[in-house]
Amino acid sequence: MRFWAVVIRHACRNMLLTWKSQGMTLFTVSLSVLIFSFFYLVYVNALHIGEQLGDDLRLVVYLDEAPPSPLQEEYRRKILKFDQVERIEFISREQAFKRFEHILGPGSDVLTGVPTDFLPASIEVYPVRTLDSLSRIKRFSDYLQTLPGVLKVQYGKEWIERFYAFIQLMRVITLLSGSLLIMTTTFMVAHTIRLTLFARQQELELLRLVGATNNYIRTPFLLEGALQGGIGACGGLGALLVLYNWISLQFAGPNAISLPAFAFFKWPVVVAIIGLSTLLCIAGSFSAIRRFLHL
Amino acid sequence: MNPENSPPPAMIDLIKVSKVYPPNVQAISDVSLTIAKGEVVFLIGMSGAGKTTLLRLISRMEKPTKGMVDVAGMDVIKLSERDIHLLRRKVGMAHQDFKLLPERTVADNIAIALEVVYCPQSLIEKRIQELLEQLDLTKKYNTRAGELSRGEQQRVSIARAVANNPEIILADEPTGNLDAETTARVMALFEQLHRRGATLLIATHDRALFHDTPHRVIELRFGRILSQSKTEGSYDDLGELAPALEEIEP
Repeated sequence: MRFWAVVIRHACRNMLLTWKSQGMTLFTVSLSVLIFSFFYLVYVNALHIGEQLGDDLRLVVYLDEAPPSPLQEEYRRKILKFDQVERIEFISREQAFKRFEHILGPGSDVLTGVPTDFLPASIEVYPVRTLDSLSRIKRFSDYLQTLPGVLKVQYGKEWIERFYAFIQLMRVITLLSGSLLIMTTTFMVAHTIRLTLFARQQELELLRLVGATNNYIRTPFLLEGALQGGIGACGGLGALLVLYNWISLQFAGPNAISLPAFAFFKWPVVVAIIGLSTLLCIAGSFSAIRRFLHL
Repeated sequence: MNPENSPPPAMIDLIKVSKVYPPNVQAISDVSLTIAKGEVVFLIGMSGAGKTTLLRLISRMEKPTKGMVDVAGMDVIKLSERDIHLLRRKVGMAHQDFKLLPERTVADNIAIALEVVYCPQSLIEKRIQELLEQLDLTKKYNTRAGELSRGEQQRVSIARAVANNPEIILADEPTGNLDAETTARVMALFEQLHRRGATLLIATHDRALFHDTPHRVIELRFGRILSQSKTEGSYDDLGELAPALEEIEP
């Protein structure tokens, strides 16, 4: 207990004494966390939006003839052979007509006298709603096209491809900003600790001479790294929350464009980001201690 | 054997210790020395005689090139870097170059030695006040060490060395920058620690300190023990050896 009290006091005192470099490091860590968490937030929400849009995501396979039950099983088997799907529905010509009638509603009178089998039979394939299924949808469509009796395969080609490209871009940007976070936090913290070690060389030698243990000397530096990581991450996430609230306000109101279910991070994610940043800063601090603190 | 008559256990034991600094500077040669628990020993000799090296060997600031150093029951040579604090907590050393942190206050400089042994803050304050009073530095409590005179810095260094009541006190020229009155204060502090059972090894040039002392005086010359007074005797007892010493001098 006494050990931690002394170590915390040492770490805090050192941070106050070197407040300029500490401030710079905190700013850098905060900025890195802000950049990373911003793109990660967009990415996570894009995935979420993708899942919601996926409710309408289906491949419609038009057939030249309504398949009898044994053939339906054959189609089902071939479809499942390519990829997992959420469900497969066979729509007969009559069912298609009824749907069309339903869609037209009061205007369905126009269909009076039209034969009920004028629409083609089809298979509606609902892929599993994951990013991977989005990426495979083009190939899935091409595959379905090769099945016997298929006239045409339809799906929301353009938006899916654009959305997929967007998600891919966000994934790359998130990875890059994640790498930036790792590099800046570890390097900046390592650099700050190194400067502190050089500045306090005399004191560290003295501590050794008066009987300080290795842990007594090292732990304040690790704690310093942890504090930089933790406080920096809180700062970055706090800034992101302010930004998020500001953007939400801009899109609020009856005449504004509503953001479709754009949500902030849940608590476990917030804790994970703070934990990750803290760990990275401890790693930076540890590497500096290993390289420059010779006890 | 009556335990009351048995000699006190050795606190510092050096056997055939040599120290050579690169490239080939012989600082200590085959020194064998035993200092009993609670003993006060004055280590004297000219500059370069090896006094400071001997103190550095005892506090494990240096490793001997040859020989065995045993301090407070610990084989200093075999002591790993990880366990070195066990020795340093038992040995308080007042360095010749003071080793103070000039940007820190006098109180902070002394507190360092107490903080490493996890002494409660209230006791640290009390002990610092007590030591500053004994060494006539009360007014300097909050003064930065870099702003003190050399004499004051020397006393702060001594205060830090004795702050946590170590079993062994090594003092390297502790009165080199002090006037007679302050020297007397420092010696009174040492005497007090001695009465409490501490073992003291004082390296000095100051003849006034060891002249007529009841304690043992060891003279080093060119890294060797040239002479030593009998325990509980006066250094003046060495008078008859003086001509012999003169002959050895180059």
